[in-house]
Amino acid sequence: MDVFILLLEGIFVSFEPLNLGLLIFGCLIGLFVGAMPGLGSVNGVAILIPITFIIPPTAAIIFLAAVYYGAMYGGAISSVMLGIPGASTAVATVFDGRPLAVKGEAMTALTAAAVGSFVGGTVSVILFTLFAPPLAEVALRFNAPETFALMVMAFATFVGLGGDDVPKTIFSILIGLALSTIGLDLITGKPRLIFFNIPGFLHGINFLVLAIGIYGIGEMLWTLEETKGKVQMSKLSVNMKEVGRAFGALKKTIMAMNIGSFLGFFVGILPAAGATPASLMSYGITKQLSKNSKEFGSGVPAGVVAPECANNSASTGSMLPMLTLGIPGSPTTAILLGGMILWGLTPGPLLFTQEPEFVWGLIGSLYIANFFTLVLNIALIPAFLMVLRIPFAILAPVIFVLCVTGGYAPTQSLHDVWLMLLFGFAGYILRKLDYPVAPAVLSIVLGPLAEKALRQSLILSDGSMGIFFDMAEKPIAAIIMYIAIVLLIMPAFGPLYRKYIKKKQTT
Amino acid sequence: MSVTNKITVKRAEIAVAVILALCSIALMIKSAENRITWNAEENMGAGFLPFYLSLGMLICTVLTIIKFVLKRSPQSKDDSPFIEAEAFKYIAVTIISLVILVLAIGYLGIYFSLIFFLAFYLRYFSSKSILFISVFSLITPVLTFLFFEWLLKIPLPQGISEPLFYPVYDFMYS
Repeated sequence: MDVFILLLEGIFVSFEPLNLGLLIFGCLIGLFVGAMPGLGSVNGVAILIPITFIIPPTAAIIFLAAVYYGAMYGGAISSVMLGIPGASTAVATVFDGRPLAVKGEAMTALTAAAVGSFVGGTVSVILFTLFAPPLAEVALRFNAPETFALMVMAFATFVGLGGDDVPKTIFSILIGLALSTIGLDLITGKPRLIFFNIPGFLHGINFLVLAIGIYGIGEMLWTLEETKGKVQMSKLSVNMKEVGRAFGALKKTIMAMNIGSFLGFFVGILPAAGATPASLMSYGITKQLSKNSKEFGSGVPAGVVAPECANNSASTGSMLPMLTLGIPGSPTTAILLGGMILWGLTPGPLLFTQEPEFVWGLIGSLYIANFFTLVLNIALIPAFLMVLRIPFAILAPVIFVLCVTGGYAPTQSLHDVWLMLLFGFAGYILRKLDYPVAPAVLSIVLGPLAEKALRQSLILSDGSMGIFFDMAEKPIAAIIMYIAIVLLIMPAFGPLYRKYIKKKQTT
Repeated sequence: MSVTNKITVKRAEIAVAVILALCSIALMIKSAENRITWNAEENMGAGFLPFYLSLGMLICTVLTIIKFVLKRSPQSKDDSPFIEAEAFKYIAVTIISLVILVLAIGYLGIYFSLIFFLAFYLRYFSSKSILFISVFSLITPVLTFLFFEWLLKIPLPQGISEPLFYPVYDFMYS
């Protein structure tokens, strides 16, 4: 009952004029950002975070969450119309969305994507409301050792579940952590890693500089290479008859909606996973379980609904550990978490007791944003199609302007703009060679928090690392640490397991 | 054979791994300017964490190099160009123009630098008319000014062009 009252209060908070205005504006920007090839929720949030400094934290998180949410809807538009995923989260939407558009049924694909997103979003927000308070209550009992163990587990999930090259993934985590140590040491106050005695390094490297560099500059370079500044779009006729027909086609997608919503939510909670693997897994499982699995890939609405349900559901799921544990569930929530620190908040379970308006305002806004995004998405399809016709050669310089001003604004130092350019270029090169970049962003956000938790734990234990593995004294920290170790060594068993299966098949 | 064809994925993989290994060593040396030891009696030295994180980075790059030598990574067998010639033009021009933009911001100030950057970029890559490019290149900095200086009250760098903005500030704050 308490939860219900808090939720109602949260919904009222999101209906306050400033919050509601920003929510609708955020949904619109999110739809636009998601629809543009090369830009996803993470890019939108990274580029826009500097402009939230002048508004209250609740309004800021509602705005950015709406951008995050809208981008999940918008990604499908370019997947269907251009055959290029608007964001990595909409890659699986191309598999059946594009063939539907080629067959002349683009409206069916776009409606399936919008309704799928709405269902996934709604189910996940309900799950979020139910799970968040009890999880936060458990997390309130966490001290420094448990917090550090959780962070180690967040890093370990990238290694165990990320699916990327293991040394490259660990390198990405470590470079993010190393960059986070630049500046003054928090215990001794000594300057660390001040390259060439440049004073700009004394204030450390703001996570935004890395995030905007990688997800703004780096992503634009990547997309310029892919598209070479051009666009190719399918034809679309929009009328009410088409929309009605599209809704009729959704009757056969109930199973896809269920799989996408629930699987998406739980995959979204895992730090390394997020919306991209959730949508791919949801597509794969729906295809396997479907009676018409052979038709998948040739243009079936269920093939659009499954990933779209999952990516929206996962985006909400990824906010659960962010709010309750202070651990981001996706690169976008890593940036949101960094934003909370910039706004003067302490991410973690204390938010539920110290900042209820912030937490429940955010949860309430997700319900409202879900509704508005569905309406805006379907109503504004013709407008988005016009936007998609903008050649990339025009969009790219505008994004660069936003990156340069966004990189400068937080610290008002050109030093940070230079660093941002460097990270953007390095991120582009590393991404081309399959170095995952998301772990570096997560690490630079979590780095200072992890270091603080580690050093506090070691002071508690008189310098003994045993505090993290003591089942009698710190059982939660120990269990989390053991899970982290399993995740870290898991990739080593992959080739052995494949060898075993191969051997079994041959005998 | 063009330069872009000579830089294959294979060559880029090993070159980047070696550069990252050297950067890791440089970070280790830099970290060692502070105390890198830690034991139960004394607190963790300020250089301890960065040193061992850089050591970890070095080990990862060495593993990447070993995988390359043993041909265990997909990149170690990939002789295709790292970047196609046409795409290289886009990337190179973009990076050079961004570097010139940031250099110009420090001298000319952001608003005038943006005008030149946008005009050049759109003229080079898009087929839009001179009129469109002129209007677009002028409106974007004006909107940027209004957004940052008027709405957010965040001053952006103005370099030698700063005196030109005094009348605007007088108007805004009068």
